[in-house]
Amino acid sequence: MAASWRRLLAGAAGLALILLLVPIGRRALAAASTTAPEQAKSYSTSQYLSPVALHLSTDGLRLYVVCEDGDRVLAVDTHTRQVVQQVRVGHRPQGIATSPDGKTLYVSNEWDSTVTEIDAESFQARRTLATGAGPVGITTDRAGRVLYVANTRGDDVSLIDLATGNERKRLEAGHFPEYVARAHNGRRIYVANLLVRGPYDQPPTSELTVIDPDQQKVTARIVIPGVIQLRHIAELPAGAGGALVVPFMRPKNLNPLVQVRQGWYLTHGIAVVRPTSQSAEGVQKFQVSEVLLDDIDRNYADGFGSAATPDGRWALVTASGADIVSVVDTAKLNRALRAAQPSQPEALANRLDLARQFVVRRLRTGRNPTAVEISPDSRFAYIANRMDDTISVIDMGTMQTAGIIDLGGPKAISRWRHGERLFFDASYSEQGQMACATCHPHGGLSDGLAWSLETPQLGRDVVENKTLLGIDGTSPFKWNGMNPDLETQDGPRSASYIFRSQGFSGSEVKDLAGFILSLRLPPSPHLARSGELTEAQARGQDIFFRSRTTAGKLIPPQDRCYYCHAPVSHYTSRVRMNVGTATQYDTIQAFDVPQLEGVAMKPPYLHNGEAQDLEEIWTKFNPDDKHGITSDMDKVQLNDLIEFLKTL
Amino acid sequence: MIFGKKRDHRREAILPKSWWRWSAASRSCARLLLGLLTFAASGAAAQTPPLYTRWVNYTPANGLPAGEVFCVTVDGPRVWAGTKHGLALLEDGRVKKVFTTADGMVSNVVMSVAVDKETGDVWIAALGGASVYSAGQFRNYTSLSSGLANDLVYGVAVQGRYVWFATAAGASRLNADDGSWSIFNETNAPFQEPWAYSIAASKQKVYIAAWGGGVVVYDIAGHYWRPYTDPDGEMEIVLYRNQGLIHNIVSSVSYNPETEMFWASTYFGLSGYDGRQWHNYLTKDSGLISNFINGVRSRGDAVWACTQGGLSELDYKTNTWVTYRPDKKTGRGEILITHPNGKKSRMETPTSLAHNYILNMDFQGQDIWVATARGLSHGLRQP
Repeated sequence: MAASWRRLLAGAAGLALILLLVPIGRRALAAASTTAPEQAKSYSTSQYLSPVALHLSTDGLRLYVVCEDGDRVLAVDTHTRQVVQQVRVGHRPQGIATSPDGKTLYVSNEWDSTVTEIDAESFQARRTLATGAGPVGITTDRAGRVLYVANTRGDDVSLIDLATGNERKRLEAGHFPEYVARAHNGRRIYVANLLVRGPYDQPPTSELTVIDPDQQKVTARIVIPGVIQLRHIAELPAGAGGALVVPFMRPKNLNPLVQVRQGWYLTHGIAVVRPTSQSAEGVQKFQVSEVLLDDIDRNYADGFGSAATPDGRWALVTASGADIVSVVDTAKLNRALRAAQPSQPEALANRLDLARQFVVRRLRTGRNPTAVEISPDSRFAYIANRMDDTISVIDMGTMQTAGIIDLGGPKAISRWRHGERLFFDASYSEQGQMACATCHPHGGLSDGLAWSLETPQLGRDVVENKTLLGIDGTSPFKWNGMNPDLETQDGPRSASYIFRSQGFSGSEVKDLAGFILSLRLPPSPHLARSGELTEAQARGQDIFFRSRTTAGKLIPPQDRCYYCHAPVSHYTSRVRMNVGTATQYDTIQAFDVPQLEGVAMKPPYLHNGEAQDLEEIWTKFNPDDKHGITSDMDKVQLNDLIEFLKTL
Repeated sequence: MIFGKKRDHRREAILPKSWWRWSAASRSCARLLLGLLTFAASGAAAQTPPLYTRWVNYTPANGLPAGEVFCVTVDGPRVWAGTKHGLALLEDGRVKKVFTTADGMVSNVVMSVAVDKETGDVWIAALGGASVYSAGQFRNYTSLSSGLANDLVYGVAVQGRYVWFATAAGASRLNADDGSWSIFNETNAPFQEPWAYSIAASKQKVYIAAWGGGVVVYDIAGHYWRPYTDPDGEMEIVLYRNQGLIHNIVSSVSYNPETEMFWASTYFGLSGYDGRQWHNYLTKDSGLISNFINGVRSRGDAVWACTQGGLSELDYKTNTWVTYRPDKKTGRGEILITHPNGKKSRMETPTSLAHNYILNMDFQGQDIWVATARGLSHGLRQP
């Protein structure tokens, strides 16, 4: 009864606030939702460089370093190991490629949705090329005529004609394509997709997209079962088997989280992908094997960068959560794969005793190693340490660290930077299985999976992972709304139930929370730069704020969109509501109202992730109009509403 | 008539007996050769478009999932045939693969297929939703999981970065770049009836066949709609021959970029519009074999009508009609030619279309592919 009264009072207060503010104007409400964060004021993101991508010049004399926080590209002299040039690029640069003659660099700017073209000699920006939404991975074709850019938020690949600078076409990729690589022979472009789409109650399936640059078409979509977060792609030379090596994370998200203690809940490894034959319909087929790089008693979380020596003898894979680079002997890897039962690929993919057969070294890097590059003469490997603003230099002959290149970032570590380091650090979890970034990749996204948290019963209380982008001012947290702030969310409870370890100290939790609350959503690709809504979006906005049904009947306030998704507080009323989405497998009926900002980039939807698209929220899971009055709307109106939501 | 149905005993008498021991197929070939020679000698051949004298048929007997073939789309060397029980891919003269819901396709009843020449993706309209087949994988769109207007999808066309769908509740348009959907129906476009049966696209316009609503045309640059309807409304007669669209029940549209005409097939005759004038055809005043037309395609100087009584071609350069259909009694092929002067001639071919009920067709170089109610037919021109 008391809870009912509290809900009623909360609802009444919310309604009063909404009724007070609606007359101010809808635009004003929308603007109010983007005010400065309250809790993250004392945390600054400035100055740090955060190297995330590397590229060596053909002669190996220059190492180009892309710095995502510094919005710049550095050129390092590999002999002196000094930064010799730098150039500012767009916002949050992520990927780099060079023209075949090495005279031009191309750098993707994720938040600007552009590519900066740079003269490699003068190190001056020449022009800016428009791409799709959220460009990251980038490469040219063999002739250097077409630039291939993976657009993370567009789920596609832009093909840019470098003669004109115009986008020629876009090809559909998988979900959140992040990194690309051109085959040594130039006949294929590979695209690794970070996220997956599929039924919430099934194991995930990742896609490695293959583009034929001659046809400029997608010619294969390689299925990598049971894994997510495909990252950098390394190709072994033909003499070493010609396979691709792609790091992944292999989650057991549908098992109860108590299984973390068994050391097998989140595992990390590589997909080994080989071209084989063509199918009857002319599609190139590939053989996919999965092996873990983890050991039985130690995980190497968050595989990120991968590279192979020119002779293919070694493959290097960075574990960005473990501050480790694993050195794989590819001959031993091939032997292990040949010895495995081909009829039991799943068993192979889960073996924690296999890595010791082919991982010959675990070398410590700096904090949060990301990209790795190997010199053309195979003597050195360079590893970008995002959280140190350094490059580790590995002597491939001795398999020892030969030096650290200081990129010149600030030496003082702010609390914000400290929180960021904690975010990427898997050492706080049982056997190093996970960092915050493991389930919130690419700087705080939701991994798009439904997880069986807390309840030690298979299949009960499965909840969809939430994004961490733009959550400041949206407390409480968790789907049950039980955590009033992030300190509670990330404190002892997380240590007990998720990390299964001692967890973070009190001050660490504060810094981590400060960092997380500072995370911002990238601009919506669905909203014009001017902020003007299209006709459909404007119609959808009217529907969002409507108070009457299509037939003119008054909609009770609690059944209006903006009642629960109040624009004044990031489109959430910050209370728990029962909207009829609980299932027989849920212990509770009411869930924390999620904020709608950035809703387009975080499928699936609803507390358990059973709605794969925005449409399904209403077409499948709102049969009784408990999740707002929507049954009176036709498909045109529903489409319009969704177009508006995608602008948030 | 070039060949009579009755055996000519006078000819039989002067031919050696071994002639009649030939197989039926050999005799048919010989008859075709003689027919063509006679036809050429008559001088009529110069007035006639090239003829399709050989047919290769695909049915369940040689790999097609069903006899009922609703659509056929040529994609270079590949041919996609949408049937009642799945989508067949043909290449090198055989059915290479049949796709069904077991492969991930949204439905087995495939009504239309369009290939995006830029991406190579194959878009599929089906009774149950829409699918795109891209590099070995299907992605599905239904009214529950996407902005698609309705799950009865009869037609699909690719226009630049947009994919258009003809559905039972209007036309849907998917922007492949940003994933946004638009729906056009009686509430926001001049659809008298929102039931859309077919879509054709040019660089400037999108043409929609509306069942009961005529042809509705969208101007891409101007973002406006223009309807073309029957001036005499629902009347099933034509008062003046070229007064406008022949009837509002339009089953299919086709745009011909070479002539810049669009053609509309109706259940009451064939209509074409050249931007200024209508060109209408009925059985009573042309060589059209039936006014009940399921589909239309136009290329070069010809328009092809897929009718319930056979496949009729109008070569409007020579104003000659040619109809292909199987001879129900003999099972051989029949070619009916209506010459510009109104004279008619008939030829037999040893092979024939799989059935006279034609639903759709497409071109593959000089060849044609024809979807019928009893199989898919591959027509090859006479050498």
